[in-house]
Amino acid sequence: MVNLTIDDKQVTVPKNTTIFDAAKAAGIRIPILCHDKKLNPFGGCRMCLVEVEQMKGRQIPACTTPVTEGMIVRTMTDEIAKARKLVLELLLLKHPVDCPVCDAAGDCDLQNLTYEYQVNSNRFTDEKFHHAIDYDNPLIERDMNRCIHCGKCARICDEIVSFGAYTFISRGIEAKMGTQFDGPLNCEFCGSCVSVCPVGALLARPFKFKARWWAMDKVKSVCSYCGTGCQLTLGVKDNKVLTTIYDENQGFHNGQLCTRGRFAYQFVNSDKRLTTPLMKKNGALVEVTWDEALNAVQQRLASAKTAGDVAGLVTPRLTNEELFVFKKLFKDGLGSENYDHSAGYAHSALSKGAVESIGVAASSAVIADIQKTGLLLVVKSDAYETHPVVGFEINLGVKRKDVDLRIISDKKGKLTKLPGAKTYLNIPGTETLLVNALAKTLVDENLVDAAAASITGFEEWKKSLDGAAPEQVAGICGLTADEIKTLARDYVKAEKALLLLPLGLGYPGHTKELAQALFNLSFAAGKHGKEGCGVLLLAEKNNSQGAVDLGLYPVAGGKDAAAIIDGCAAGSIKTLYVAGENLVVSYPNRKKVEAALDKVDFLIVQDLFLSETAALADVVLPACSFAEKEGTFTSAGKAVQKVNRAIKPVGQAKSDFEIFNTLYVNLSGKPAVADPKAAFAEITASVPAYAGLTYETLGDAGVVVVPAMTPKFAVAPGAAPTAEVGKMALVTGSALYHCGTMSLYGEGPMHVCPAGYVEIGREDAKRLTVQDDDLVTVTSAAGAVKLKVKVGSRMPEGVVFAPYHFADQSVNSIASGESVTWVTISK
Amino acid sequence: MIKPLLQGLKITLTHLFKKPVTLQYPTERPQIEARFRGLHALKVAHSSAKCVACYLCPTVCPAKCITVEAGEDAQHNKYAEKYEIDMLRCIFCGYCVEACPVDALKMTGEFELANYKRSDFVFTKERLLEK
Repeated sequence: MVNLTIDDKQVTVPKNTTIFDAAKAAGIRIPILCHDKKLNPFGGCRMCLVEVEQMKGRQIPACTTPVTEGMIVRTMTDEIAKARKLVLELLLLKHPVDCPVCDAAGDCDLQNLTYEYQVNSNRFTDEKFHHAIDYDNPLIERDMNRCIHCGKCARICDEIVSFGAYTFISRGIEAKMGTQFDGPLNCEFCGSCVSVCPVGALLARPFKFKARWWAMDKVKSVCSYCGTGCQLTLGVKDNKVLTTIYDENQGFHNGQLCTRGRFAYQFVNSDKRLTTPLMKKNGALVEVTWDEALNAVQQRLASAKTAGDVAGLVTPRLTNEELFVFKKLFKDGLGSENYDHSAGYAHSALSKGAVESIGVAASSAVIADIQKTGLLLVVKSDAYETHPVVGFEINLGVKRKDVDLRIISDKKGKLTKLPGAKTYLNIPGTETLLVNALAKTLVDENLVDAAAASITGFEEWKKSLDGAAPEQVAGICGLTADEIKTLARDYVKAEKALLLLPLGLGYPGHTKELAQALFNLSFAAGKHGKEGCGVLLLAEKNNSQGAVDLGLYPVAGGKDAAAIIDGCAAGSIKTLYVAGENLVVSYPNRKKVEAALDKVDFLIVQDLFLSETAALADVVLPACSFAEKEGTFTSAGKAVQKVNRAIKPVGQAKSDFEIFNTLYVNLSGKPAVADPKAAFAEITASVPAYAGLTYETLGDAGVVVVPAMTPKFAVAPGAAPTAEVGKMALVTGSALYHCGTMSLYGEGPMHVCPAGYVEIGREDAKRLTVQDDDLVTVTSAAGAVKLKVKVGSRMPEGVVFAPYHFADQSVNSIASGESVTWVTISK
Repeated sequence: MIKPLLQGLKITLTHLFKKPVTLQYPTERPQIEARFRGLHALKVAHSSAKCVACYLCPTVCPAKCITVEAGEDAQHNKYAEKYEIDMLRCIFCGYCVEACPVDALKMTGEFELANYKRSDFVFTKERLLEK
């Protein structure tokens, strides 16, 4: 620790802290334009000049100068104020000062400082810049005339996003922030650059001219897309969510968001939102009153209760409180255990795998472990695509903390490109075999941790690895035995090592067995229960972890999602209650799902939109989005976080909590759950990991819960999918810009990735003589679908990839839930 | 007793021959001074309103009677798609004119604002444009 004095205040900070950070910690504000919490110091703007007594009163930049013992710092003297004023005058010399039409006004660092330092006139005169403004993309507007050359956009894009879309080009007075060949911006469109721009040089176009910064209410909430659990601040005006506002103090990610989080909020106030209940009359859905719709639902559910032929499918996008009341409605109100979420398989790694391996349906690591680990083994490069902000953490870990990144994947991806990253390209569907071969290497080479032998099931597990030796499976997996052995040795030798596996509807192969194989590997290597070690299972949706924590899947004798679909088709389930799931598009085998839903006598769908599933319903109930309700989400990293109500419900929509509650009261005769807060109190009493939590303790930051774990070796056999001769392996998954089917109602993702596609490697594209944007027919045993071609260098030969989100080109019409679908591609 | 009465009559009589202070409105019109704060007008330059929809007038308005909605024109410039002043709420303080950074707003001598319907007191952009 280092002691120093800043403005007569004694400050003690760790070594290597800069004067700027030390002052910040002491509550002393130093103005700055070129620095952000997460970025490395740059020292470009010269606003943070301070005087240090030991340096003979010279002015030095606070952001790049480390503190030394006994330093006496003055952050404000007449000389400093004069110097800062000069800096501002020089910046304003070229700045257009078009504040009236600039969306940054009110939130502009340059404007605020100009006001603070009373720069009312300028001693200098010069011509302004005449750069052309970039309107080429629909998300980020670049007006380089306003740029003050702080370089934050280039640094955040490089350091955190690891894309590198920007750099300074030209020299001297002609220098400007440019893109590749000074062309249009062509990047991931995460908008991180927009969020850190201190002026209005980079602006979010979906928000352009929508409102002034000061006129909006800022409501803290949690993103409702993927499981990362990013906190965000919603800008709200006139009952509309207009934008997301950057706050560097929010969450583990310090306010950074991906395309969905930053640019896909429009679904909340979309024109397509359902505003009234609908009922099927004479074959068409017509608007009805809530009373009529709820009465019909209630009567039907009451008779289904007696007949025992009711089932429910619920989306893990709902809050914990709503899922809790849904479960109550089914268990107490309808006496049924037939409920599930995420098609049953997307949560099985947690609900079955983790439960058997560590005794609780959760990961054995948290997101903070990513930066603390020594070696990170990611299964599937898609971890970046399913959870982009977790990807940012991986970027930071690799670049700043020297994390040794290894990837086992069936295709290359963004993670492959990180410095020092090593990708092991395996044949799709052989992940479990491969992980078992890694474990077998540890056993064979006596590298197993001493403590592992005392874990239950060790001997049995060891025996089950016979036949899993690297030499035996290397050929099947598409790797060499040496590669597998080296990876295993590196993994066990690293002081800390973390395993990471994304889950989701697009990954039917990420099953219970794969999760268990990973848990076994972590136990065997002694990489369990320590900081920076364990297995991090990245659940897909914003509250997937919460849904699993609350046991929203059949435990005792109930039907799981697959059995419910089968039951519908066979006629044993006559009433189906679907809350928020769009199973027609997202569940495997569209034909089968559609046929099953056709057979259902009474289909109730509760959703934000008239989805493909809702269109088949007998009653459609309009529900509320995350911005219209209060509750909690549990992230993949097990952070329980509070969602706050930002706007009133759209139209006549009611929150899922209210709808479930009404039905629960009327069907069970028991008193209602008073409000989400009361529901949360009941949850904390029933879920051990949440014990002791209240809305007050969650606060704005949320709480990461750490459940008790008991490791156990579970036998996890792997099997290679049988390849079909002459066919290509289709792997499904998530596109970087989308999450589930909800992001199709967000403007940002639809601008960048508007339709489904099939990604083909260059070699295959040459062989098939197809080019980018060609329309091809992809045929599997289950059916055929026409998709546009995207040729890239990510795909190895013989493997193609297609994202699953799109309804029009739905991949589930050819994929039926196998880890690999064998397809032929023809023009 | 008679003295004060005569004094009063004297005053009355002198006023009979003075120029009256009242105006025979509406046949006689008052002279409006340049600084008078009457109905607002949106100034026009190059055949369109000068207003750039910066929202400073609704922000500064103490009566909250101004509604602005900005739009983006074909040249990506900001303009007021909607500009409305609710004259029933306006207190004619003139802060809006003072706040305007582009000198797009003025207050005219127009003071005859009576109307039959409440909705007619909401002056839309078209009605506010300088004639």
